[in-house]
Amino acid sequence: MDRVTKTLLAIVGVMIILSPIGILLVWNYSDAWGEWDVNTVEQMVGHQLPGMEKLSEVWNHAVLPDYNVPGWEDKLHASIGYIISAIVGTILVVLLYYALVKFTVGKGTSP
Amino acid sequence: MHIPDGYLGPYTCVFFYLIMIPIWYKAFKWLKNLKPSQVPLLGLLTAFSFLVMMYNMPVPGGTTAHIVGGTIIAILISPWAATVSLTIVLLIQALFFGDGGITTYAANVFNMGVVLPFVGYYTYRFLTQRLNLNEIISAGVGAYIGIVTAATVAGIELGVQPSIQPGYCPYPLGVSVPAMAIAHLVTAGPAAAVVTTAVVWYVKKSRPDLFEMRTITKSRG
Repeated sequence: MDRVTKTLLAIVGVMIILSPIGILLVWNYSDAWGEWDVNTVEQMVGHQLPGMEKLSEVWNHAVLPDYNVPGWEDKLHASIGYIISAIVGTILVVLLYYALVKFTVGKGTSP
Repeated sequence: MHIPDGYLGPYTCVFFYLIMIPIWYKAFKWLKNLKPSQVPLLGLLTAFSFLVMMYNMPVPGGTTAHIVGGTIIAILISPWAATVSLTIVLLIQALFFGDGGITTYAANVFNMGVVLPFVGYYTYRFLTQRLNLNEIISAGVGAYIGIVTAATVAGIELGVQPSIQPGYCPYPLGVSVPAMAIAHLVTAGPAAAVVTTAVVWYVKKSRPDLFEMRTITKSRG
């Protein structure tokens, strides 16, 4: 393994551990602009949005919604939920990446 | 910058899936050019992109923003590699973490996985090749312009929605574009510039061969 790969691996590890910074720094902030849930938007504009209500329901099977374990609301639990999400997400993207590389590059090239 | 399900109507969503089909075809085909030595590097950069998006930063006015890492991948490997990475990351984010959406997936990949890395990369190339500016500084400027452009494009998509089909994103262009642009001009843009500058500086120092190879191909092209 070359030096850059090693350093990047270390950076990924540190980023997982320090990830709660990403919620604690913005604890009292709202979501990013345009990422509020339907009820919040309807309240802000003062009328119903039938299309948004319908389409926002197409996928509600997220296992770790908002990068947290459902119900872990306080800062400590949310931070642990965030680290769990960082680990799960990292594993999933890397698995999907290698699956894709195997699939497109084809057999004979080991990653 | 992750447009959730419900903000874009069916026509807008289908439009972006149609736009993305040829781009995905090209990007996955490009993946065959990945050298064996670059395979772990792109995997780690994909993980980096997922993680860096978890670092929400406060935006004056009460909202948040994050960086994407697309320009870093574009400069170190290729803008097509960034498209592949973001296609993976945004799918996992939508399915498992409810960040972004299924109907808006193609639009989100277009913004963060196409507009961002390509604008970032070609800005960097223009500054280094045409103006002969320093590579590290150009990388930072590229990342800044890339993320601000991508956020502005996302703002345009949200803002035209009321004119295409009402009942989805209710905000007109005059609200959505400044909101998205300013959040990234003041918060995510500078952060992207600093992080990209640092990463490109480090890689150039440790693996100058990555850049020398590129210079040779550049002078030939």
